[in-house]
Amino acid sequence: MAHHAPSATATLDAPRTGTWDGGNEPFKASYGKLMMWFFLLSDAFTFAAFLTTYGFIRHKHEVFAGPGKFFASTRWWPVPDQVFNAFPGLHGVDLPLAFVALMTMILIFSSVTMVLAVEAGHRMDKADVQKWLLWTILFGATFLGSQAWEWTHFIHGTEKGLTMADGSVVHGANLAVNQYGPVLFADLFFFITGFHGTHVFSGVCLLIWCFIATTNGTFHKRGHYEMVEKIGLYWHFVDLVWVFVFTFFYLV
Amino acid sequence: MAAHATTDHDLAPGEIAKPNTGWIWKTFWVLVGITALEFVFVFFMNAGTARNTIFIILTIFKAFFIVAEFMHLKHETKGLIWTILVPTSLLIWLLVALITEGSAIGEVLAHMFS
Repeated sequence: MAHHAPSATATLDAPRTGTWDGGNEPFKASYGKLMMWFFLLSDAFTFAAFLTTYGFIRHKHEVFAGPGKFFASTRWWPVPDQVFNAFPGLHGVDLPLAFVALMTMILIFSSVTMVLAVEAGHRMDKADVQKWLLWTILFGATFLGSQAWEWTHFIHGTEKGLTMADGSVVHGANLAVNQYGPVLFADLFFFITGFHGTHVFSGVCLLIWCFIATTNGTFHKRGHYEMVEKIGLYWHFVDLVWVFVFTFFYLV
Repeated sequence: MAAHATTDHDLAPGEIAKPNTGWIWKTFWVLVGITALEFVFVFFMNAGTARNTIFIILTIFKAFFIVAEFMHLKHETKGLIWTILVPTSLLIWLLVALITEGSAIGEVLAHMFS
């Protein structure tokens, strides 16, 4: 060992080449991709806070225990497939969760077209990147439109509404009243699906920008399509959040 | 660097590699299958803890396929995988803790005036 042999001459240490000694990429991912991962992790905290709040408030409420068929009341938490049972153009038909199933499929499809765009980017296939980005934008915009319809329906409510103790009838829901159950149910619906929808909207904006840059040849001149990958990570995260929102808001 | 090598393809469009999309569609069908299974359970099984447990397990399966394949995390370095998974698993702890707390508070509120 060097330190056992004192010497009058100065010795130079060999350069350190360990994983964490600097001058390399320990995670073998670029700065931009790594920062996108960390941003998404922080975003996951926000969504987890929303879903935890939902779980907390839901468990704090009474569960409908009969007798008879479930009916809406401010006393107990609503059953989701009794609330979300409408479909555009099919007025008055009871189709539990059918529309939300369609929305889920649209989002899964958009994730597939997104990953196809990333794959095309790896091959430097500009035309394919453009094609799959356009499909992703289309599915993303369709999801936003569907959500707008669902919100409109939720806000307007049904003709029957909910009769309160004082005899007044409440139709639909907003942040202060709710025909489907406790007011907090509507509040959580607006905040959770609204926050997710805002993410989808931001994603569509990023995708449109990305499509324009692809068309202008920005990424081709740069020599790589990593920007498509980074936006792809964001887009898949939005899909991932929907998977959880779908389970905890519509299924459970 | 790769940056220079790839720009040549701009001049020769015929040199673009063939798409390799088999794994993408496989993942897609897995996600569709799990979602379909969830709907089977919604309509053909009575609500309760057992059904909710099935939903949560299926959701974690779906999340795994999205993160591992679509977000490519499975193919990243171990360090990056753990960096993402460790904080996320702590969130699950938070979720379980606060749901338990919610049940306890609900219990207290139900018996407050009796």
